[in-house]
Amino acid sequence: MAQLEVQLGLLKQEVINMWSLVRSQLIKAQTSLINFDKDLAREVILKERRVNGYELKIDRDCENIFALLTPVAIDLRFVLAVLKINSNLERIGDIAEGVAKYIVRTGQPFKPQLLEATKLTVMYEGSINILQDTLIAFENEDTILARSVFKKDEFLDDINLDANNLIENYLKENPGDIDQALYALSIIRKLERVGDQSKNISEEIIFYLEAKVLKHKHSH
Amino acid sequence: MNTLVKYRIGKSAAFKTLTIVLAFACVLPLVAILLYIIRAGITKINWHFLVNIPKPVGESGGGIANALLGSMIIIGVAALIAIPIGILCGIYLNEYKKSKLAYWSRLSVDILQGVPSIVIGIVAYFWLVKPLGGFSALSGSVALAIMMLPIIIRSTEETLKLLPDSLKEAAFALGMPFHRVILKVIVPCGISGILSGVILSVARIAGETAPLLFTAFGNPYISTNVTKPMQSLPLLIFNYATSPYNDWHDLAWGASLILLLWVLLLNIITKLTTRRWRVQL
Amino acid sequence: MESTIIRSKNFNAYFGVNHVVKDVNIEIPKNHVIAVMGPSGCGKTTYLRCINRMHELIPGATCNGEMALNNEDVYSMHPIFVRLKIGMVFQRPNPFPNLSIYDNVIAGYKLNGIKLPKAEKDNVVERSLTRAALWKEVKDSLHKKGTFLSGGQQQRLCIARAIAMEPEVLLLDEPTSALDPISTSSVEDLLHELKANYTLVIVTHNMQQAARVSDRTAFFYLGELVEYDDTKKMFTNPRDNRTQNYITGRFS
Repeated sequence: MAQLEVQLGLLKQEVINMWSLVRSQLIKAQTSLINFDKDLAREVILKERRVNGYELKIDRDCENIFALLTPVAIDLRFVLAVLKINSNLERIGDIAEGVAKYIVRTGQPFKPQLLEATKLTVMYEGSINILQDTLIAFENEDTILARSVFKKDEFLDDINLDANNLIENYLKENPGDIDQALYALSIIRKLERVGDQSKNISEEIIFYLEAKVLKHKHSH
Repeated sequence: MNTLVKYRIGKSAAFKTLTIVLAFACVLPLVAILLYIIRAGITKINWHFLVNIPKPVGESGGGIANALLGSMIIIGVAALIAIPIGILCGIYLNEYKKSKLAYWSRLSVDILQGVPSIVIGIVAYFWLVKPLGGFSALSGSVALAIMMLPIIIRSTEETLKLLPDSLKEAAFALGMPFHRVILKVIVPCGISGILSGVILSVARIAGETAPLLFTAFGNPYISTNVTKPMQSLPLLIFNYATSPYNDWHDLAWGASLILLLWVLLLNIITKLTTRRWRVQL
Repeated sequence: MESTIIRSKNFNAYFGVNHVVKDVNIEIPKNHVIAVMGPSGCGKTTYLRCINRMHELIPGATCNGEMALNNEDVYSMHPIFVRLKIGMVFQRPNPFPNLSIYDNVIAGYKLNGIKLPKAEKDNVVERSLTRAALWKEVKDSLHKKGTFLSGGQQQRLCIARAIAMEPEVLLLDEPTSALDPISTSSVEDLLHELKANYTLVIVTHNMQQAARVSDRTAFFYLGELVEYDDTKKMFTNPRDNRTQNYITGRFS
């Protein structure tokens, strides 16, 4: 029916817009981290309001579609998936805001050696890429790409597990940078959650396209 | 067991055969009449027969021209009287099904249908012939019209009853006033049934004699004056068949055949009309 | 800015002594689709028929209260004028069986004795059939009788016939309940497009349909107007418990 198709199309576009916003938040936070740009960080914190706004709107739109248009089959799964992806994206937005808040609070810029040694740079790139992959998988209805996200998330998990050791080693050589090191550790933890949220998003994409529930399955 | 079943089967076959035989038995009288009249009348019919008036007793030849014309005029006038009244009454009965007037109307129509034709003739005599001082074709038409009314009213009402209410609703919703709803939508959709009712009523009264006995009375000459007596086919048959003259007997036979063909033709036209004008609902 | 095109105030309708529509107050804004829903016998169809004065055609049917079209009381106008401004489409498609498709569309003019030049008649027919999403399907068989179309097409023909009169408001009495799902779908899509030129009031016993097609919904129960609100609000968070019970199917 024409109405339903139109509404679903609008909904998809809304989600994609939110996705792009969250991605740009992450990237800006990364830039503000590398360049120690407090103004850029403050911009990220302000923009978080828009991300929340998107979440509320998409929730409401889904509710209306359920109530008025009673979607079934793939349309139903799509709206259910969007509801969940909506909150996943909002949490990623929160993570970007969190990173930005650290930048605003900290007194000194992060040393490039620190970033290298703890693999923070690599991890950040990885988390931005993993988010981008989920966006493309959603836009193009690509379940293969969605599945590839699971492996990439493991990569981020590994870095996270290693983080304690790496930080310890760095601090042995640079004992004065304990403040920055602790922040770096927190940021790594946060970025690991970006991976987790992206994995959840991929599960939802596969659910809506294939009606397969991959949640809580330990091997994909 | 077997014999019982065989007995049953035999009984069933016998019953079926009986129904078929009796069906034929119904057709037999019609066929007999047709054959007899055709045989008796066919030789009497020719062009002279149709365009001449009866000759005085003793002379041979002559025809039924006055009766033919007379019949057509009397029936024509009767139709002119009965058709508008009948159709409008039928429309009323269909529109106001529950009113008191509708109840008494329907009752009257039913009773009227059963009144003997001669009684109607006598009534017309007292209504028109006596006050006007003489027999006339008009009084004959009135009598015939009274006989046509129940048939036209009944068939109009039945036809319109079959039309769904949604038709009227659609018309009203388009802003049509009542008279247009009836005349431009309801009647055109029911025209098939109404027309066949009208033609049937004409077929019914085409051969009525009794109502014309005391009204149109008969006329040996061709006449077109409705205020004076006029001849008609059934009257001619009635009078000439019982007369002692052979020539007149011949005329009666010829007239009977014409009348028969006329009624047959009208019935066929009814069937064709119904099919041609039928509106697929 | 919405302007009200139909307003009912303290409107009541009766069949003899039966009080079937009780004290209804509604304002219907222009170029909107209003759905009127409720269980059987709740008075919704009666109310609809009061708007274009079809209710009074039934013997013994009366009503009182205000029913205004553009601020003019419908009951002080001549009913013919009212019905020219407010068209109606019925539950069973009812094209005139003795007329062709072409003649059906302009029946409102032709049967009312309004004479139009041929070019204008052609114009009206094409415009109405196009607006009713039927033109492409029938443009080569305009002379054929209307009763040979499918149910959905017949109903769209009836819609075309109604809008040919250029009414301001179009009333639809359960227009798809006699149609199959695909025809229903095509008629519903059509309602969306008709909104641009007309105000539509549609009675339906199918609440999903009310949810799909309307901007505002009125819920009738036992003759009363229980709730009248934005459709979105009505179906996500109705104010009245009775509405909620009806929508969720908890009515017995």
